[in-house]
Amino acid sequence: MEEKVPRSNIIETEIPMGTVHPAALEPYRVRLFVEDEVVQEAEITIGVNHRGIERIMEGLPVEKANALTEKICGICSNSHVWNSCRTAEIGLDIEIPERARYIRVIMGELERLHSHFLYLAHGCETVAHETFSMRVFYLREIVMELLAMIGGNRVQYGCPIIGGVRPRCDLDEAKLLRIKNDMDKIEEGLTGFAERFLADSILVSRVTGVGVLPAKQAIKLAVTGPSLRATGVARDLRTTMFEYEDFDFNVVTQPDGDVKSNLLMRVFESFEAIKIIRQAIANIPEGKVVNRDWEMFDTDIIESYIEVPRGTLYHSYALETGRIRHCIIRTPSMANIGAMQYACIGDHITDAQLSIVQCDPCFTCTDRAIEIIRR
Amino acid sequence: MFETVATNSILAVIITVVVCFIISTLLPGIERKYVHARIQQRIGPPVTSPGIMAPIKFLFKENIKPSSPVPGLYKALPVICFLVVLSMLITLTPYAFAIPALASLVAIVGLLKVEEICYVLMGSLSKSIMSVRMPFPDRVKGAAHTKTTLSFIEDISAKRSLRMITYGSFPLYLALFAPVTAARSIFLQDIVLYQQANGPFLFTVSGGIAAIVFFIGYMIVLNEYPFSIIKAKCDVIEGPYMEYASKYRSIVFITRGFLMFTLGVLFSVLFIGIPATIFSPTILLNIVVVLVFVLMMGIFSAFTPVFTNRQLLPSILGATLLGILAIVLGLL
Repeated sequence: MEEKVPRSNIIETEIPMGTVHPAALEPYRVRLFVEDEVVQEAEITIGVNHRGIERIMEGLPVEKANALTEKICGICSNSHVWNSCRTAEIGLDIEIPERARYIRVIMGELERLHSHFLYLAHGCETVAHETFSMRVFYLREIVMELLAMIGGNRVQYGCPIIGGVRPRCDLDEAKLLRIKNDMDKIEEGLTGFAERFLADSILVSRVTGVGVLPAKQAIKLAVTGPSLRATGVARDLRTTMFEYEDFDFNVVTQPDGDVKSNLLMRVFESFEAIKIIRQAIANIPEGKVVNRDWEMFDTDIIESYIEVPRGTLYHSYALETGRIRHCIIRTPSMANIGAMQYACIGDHITDAQLSIVQCDPCFTCTDRAIEIIRR
Repeated sequence: MFETVATNSILAVIITVVVCFIISTLLPGIERKYVHARIQQRIGPPVTSPGIMAPIKFLFKENIKPSSPVPGLYKALPVICFLVVLSMLITLTPYAFAIPALASLVAIVGLLKVEEICYVLMGSLSKSIMSVRMPFPDRVKGAAHTKTTLSFIEDISAKRSLRMITYGSFPLYLALFAPVTAARSIFLQDIVLYQQANGPFLFTVSGGIAAIVFFIGYMIVLNEYPFSIIKAKCDVIEGPYMEYASKYRSIVFITRGFLMFTLGVLFSVLFIGIPATIFSPTILLNIVVVLVFVLMMGIFSAFTPVFTNRQLLPSILGATLLGILAIVLGLL
């Protein structure tokens, strides 16, 4: 794949969109520099939804701060609280019971399923294929119900706590059986969706070769997660996470880095998530789900990286008399903004929002950093 | 005697138009509830909601001054569109056949062109807050390209409407003239009489092909997916209609349903030879044709994404070639 070069010297017309736009689920401003409806360059700006969560977390007891991280994102809420707890567990050297590790993995993979299904539905919606979008939303509904069954809520489950998972989120036989049965339903539904999607030549022509991001450029822009893997780079942090040591799964990649590759990437990765959940259900050990035998002490800055549905999530803070200091959170979309800007180049303006959506933006979660651009 | 006939004709036209208008208000609801919602396995809105209740609701909303360089003209355009569709329906009643200048294909094409030009004007006159006017500090230190020409998203819509006038709606016009090759006349009365004598044009090879082309053109003129490039949600949002609120948006809603009905009746006249009159049971056939078009459009649009130039140009080219083939076959 050739590298696309922004043709800055001939740019005449600028079409700004946002911060409110129906194709975007979240508030962001995109300036599209176009020539005859073909995007030559794009500039994305966020910052209208800054909530200052890191600032609020400063000085809070770590347990309270962990609960607060769940409010960062409505899609990967579990991932945030998981990584925040994990940060404390690394710093305080807390051992996690085996059963709790398995439940965390189940929750993480269910969240991956619902995030990927949302992505697929949003992608279909952005190309104005409402029927496919609705069908994926019906599949997602099964996952949402499972998450509600485990966590008690559809968005904020409050599952991980320092030392394990909340006892109310423990999985009994009935719950495990329901998850197992629903995985069969989801697999069947997703297979049907993928077959219909690939058989629809109009839709495939609409998403093939659009929003191309070459692997070389993706690495240069530090793209993470499925958006990186859709360019052919097999990099998945789950392969290095101790939580996933017991599980056998493949790191899925796609070759082209376009919208089609990204959509299929999420489909195939969902099948892998189902595989992981099935393994977890089959092998979940007995025992307690939380280790309360730990002591608080002051720590240096602790860092934790995990693979969340959209890429690599980073949490770091220091602990001082049980309270949070120097908190920094970086969501995957922070790294992927560059990819979104790049992916638009050379495409028709109708495909610009699609090219942005293909990188799975989550700007409201990302809206916490100030990036100083030096030109 | 003449006055009585004229009065009766006028009354018949008024009654026909009113009845057709009432039926047309149900069409958007039928499309959304019984086609889109059924395909997407959801309940959908009440059938009266999109075409009747929504316009009534908008009628009673507080109006806002549209952001437009010529607000008066911008607000007049939906009314013009409605009048154009109304005129078109009147020409399709048998009572208008007495005025050949009105009841001819040239008049129909002219009226459709006025409708299309209205979209260009609406697009170029709408300056909504969704793009340039959004109070966002774009041109700050460090921002890219601070000296470019700014363009509203509706400007793209206007340019696309212009493109649709030049080549997008061409298949529809070809399909309109296909029956002329059989009837050898551009007057609707002659086309109807020819079909009453020789059977519907639809059931000829040329007519069958032209009907397919007409259907594609029907979707293009109605700006329905996948041809809705002038109001694609993924970039230009509502496009030319962006700044309409209150009663003007209500007229936009009503006009869409009315245009759906009128184009269906146009097909009945040109391809089956049945003009619209409430005083004949054939009006039921007109309504059936209208419903078939609505159902087909609903099914087609539910299963297709919005086209970009990459898909649009070959589709239009293909439809145009089919239209030419229909005309050539008709001439042979």
